[in-house]
Amino acid sequence: MIFHPLIIALLAGSVFVVLMVAYSSAAAVGILRKWDLGSGSELQLALERKTYLVSTLLAYVFAFELLSFFLYILTADRIQPFFVGAMCAAGSLNVNGFGYPTLVVRLVNFLCVGVWLILNHVDSRGFDYPLIKVKYRAFLILAPLVLLEGGLQAAYFLRLKPDIITSCCGTLFSAASGSLVPGMGGIPRVPAMAVFYAVTAAASGLGLIYWRKGRGGYLFSGLALLMFAVSVVSIFAFISPYIYELPTHRCPFCMLQKEYGYIGYPLYLALLSGTIAGFGVGVLMPFRRIASLSETLGPLQRRLALIAAVLFLVFAGIVTARIAVSNLVF
Amino acid sequence: MIELRDVRKSFNRGKPNEFTAVQGISLEIEAGKATVLKGPSGSGKTTLLSMIGCMSRPSAGRIWVRGREITSLPERFLTEIRRRTFGFVFQQANLIRGITALENAVLPAYPIGESFATIRKRGLALFDRFGIRPKAESKAEWLSGGEAQRVVMVRALMNDPAVIIADEPTAHLDTNLSRDFMDILAGLKEDGKTLLLASHDPLVSESRVVDRVVNLRDGRIDGGTG
Repeated sequence: MIFHPLIIALLAGSVFVVLMVAYSSAAAVGILRKWDLGSGSELQLALERKTYLVSTLLAYVFAFELLSFFLYILTADRIQPFFVGAMCAAGSLNVNGFGYPTLVVRLVNFLCVGVWLILNHVDSRGFDYPLIKVKYRAFLILAPLVLLEGGLQAAYFLRLKPDIITSCCGTLFSAASGSLVPGMGGIPRVPAMAVFYAVTAAASGLGLIYWRKGRGGYLFSGLALLMFAVSVVSIFAFISPYIYELPTHRCPFCMLQKEYGYIGYPLYLALLSGTIAGFGVGVLMPFRRIASLSETLGPLQRRLALIAAVLFLVFAGIVTARIAVSNLVF
Repeated sequence: MIELRDVRKSFNRGKPNEFTAVQGISLEIEAGKATVLKGPSGSGKTTLLSMIGCMSRPSAGRIWVRGREITSLPERFLTEIRRRTFGFVFQQANLIRGITALENAVLPAYPIGESFATIRKRGLALFDRFGIRPKAESKAEWLSGGEAQRVVMVRALMNDPAVIIADEPTAHLDTNLSRDFMDILAGLKEDGKTLLLASHDPLVSESRVVDRVVNLRDGRIDGGTG
C-alpha cells in the first residue's frame, strides 16, 4: 500500500519537512537565546547569517507544507478503491484511527504555516530584523505541530490495511448516529444560508474598507476567522447537498472528484487562502509602529485585506453559481 | 561618513587552512576626503575595501556607512546601498568584450530602473567630462589602457555614488596614465566625492590629492595613520 506513488511522495516530503523543521528549531532556540543586534560579536554575525539561511529554508519547506495539504486529500481520494466501502477520501481516512487526526492537524498547520509565512515575509522587509523574535517564538510553537503531523501521517499510511471494510461518506457525514460531525443534520438550511451570506458580505465588505481606508484591522481579522468557521458549517449544511443534488449527501470530499468537476479544490483553496490573508492582517496589527516597517507594513496589510476579500467573494461566487445551476429542490 | 569598529575577517573558519585577513580594525573615514589604505600584498587592503563596499561581510565587528550600520543588513538592503552609495574601480578594467564602451559604462544603471534614454544621456555626459566621447561606440577591446581606465571611471560614477572605492587602480597603468588617473580623482574630490583607495603605489599614496594614508600590515593598522 505504501508503494502508491502519492503516498511515497507524501512520506518522502514529510521526512524532508520534519528534518528541516528539527534543524530550524535548534537554530531558532540559538537565535532566541543569543540574539543581540547591538553586538558586533562573531556569534551575533554568525546568527545573522543563520537566520537568513533558516528563514529561506523554512519559506520553501512551508510552501511545500501548504501544497502537501491538498496532496494529502488527493491521496486519500485516490486510494479509496483499495478499501471496501470507501467511496471517496472520507472512507479512506476512516480506515484507521490516524486519518482524520492527521487531516485536522494538517488543517490547523495549513492556517498557522500560512500566517507564519506572512510574518517571515514582513520580517525580511525591515532592515533591522524587526520580527525576528516574534517569528521564531511562533515557529517554536508551530514546530511540534508540524512534527506531530509527520508522525500521524506516517502512522496513517503505514497502518493502511486493504482488507479493512470502512464506511462510506454517506454514513460518516449523515444525521444518523456514528456521524463524524454530530448534530450536523440539525442545521437548518435557510438560516445557515442567511448567516453564510451575511458573514461573507461583512467579511468582504470590511476587507475592502480596510484596503481603501486602512481601518478596522482587528475586526476584519476576526471576521475572516468567523467566515472560515461559518463556511465549514455551510459546506455540511447546504453547499454539499446543492453540489451533489441530494439533500442527505453532506460529504466535504466527494466534491474533490471528477464527477463534480473537482469543484472542491478551488472552493477550499479560496477559503483557506482567504482566511490566512484575512487573519494575517490582524496578526500584523501590533507591529505597525515599528519604524523600519512603517513604509512596508501598511501597504502589505491592505493588499492582504484585498486578497482576502476577493477570495471570500470568489468562494461565495462559486457556491452561488453552483446553487443556481443545481437541480436540487428542497 | 564611514566608521569601522573592531572589524575582523577570517576565511576557512575552523579548517586547517584558516586565515585571518583583517584582525580587529577600528577606523573612521571622513566624507569628502581621499583616504589611501597602504600596505604590502596580504596586508588586508582588498578585504577591508570589500567589506566597506558591502561586497563581503566581516566575521566580527560592525561598519557604519553614513550613519547606518551595514554589517547586519540582509542582502536585499545591501544591494541597494552598494548600488547607490559606492562606485567601484578594480585592479583590472573588467570591461566586457564585444560590447561598446558606452554599453559597458552604463551597466550599473540598469537595475535602477531608469529609462534607457536617461541612462544613455547620463553616460554620454560623463564620456564628455572625461574626454572620451569619440570612443563611446568603440568596442571595449579596441580601447587603449588610458581610455579603458576612463571608461571604468564613467562606470563607477554612473549611479552618482557618494564614495568611490578603488582597489590598486594604477597597478596596470604606466606613470603618465597613473598621473592622469590621480587628476581625475582630484576632480571627483572637488565634486565632494569621498575617495577610498587601496594601493602600495607611491604615486597614489604620495599624491597631493590624498588627505590621509592608513598603513596596514598583517591585517592590522601599522603605526597609526599619516
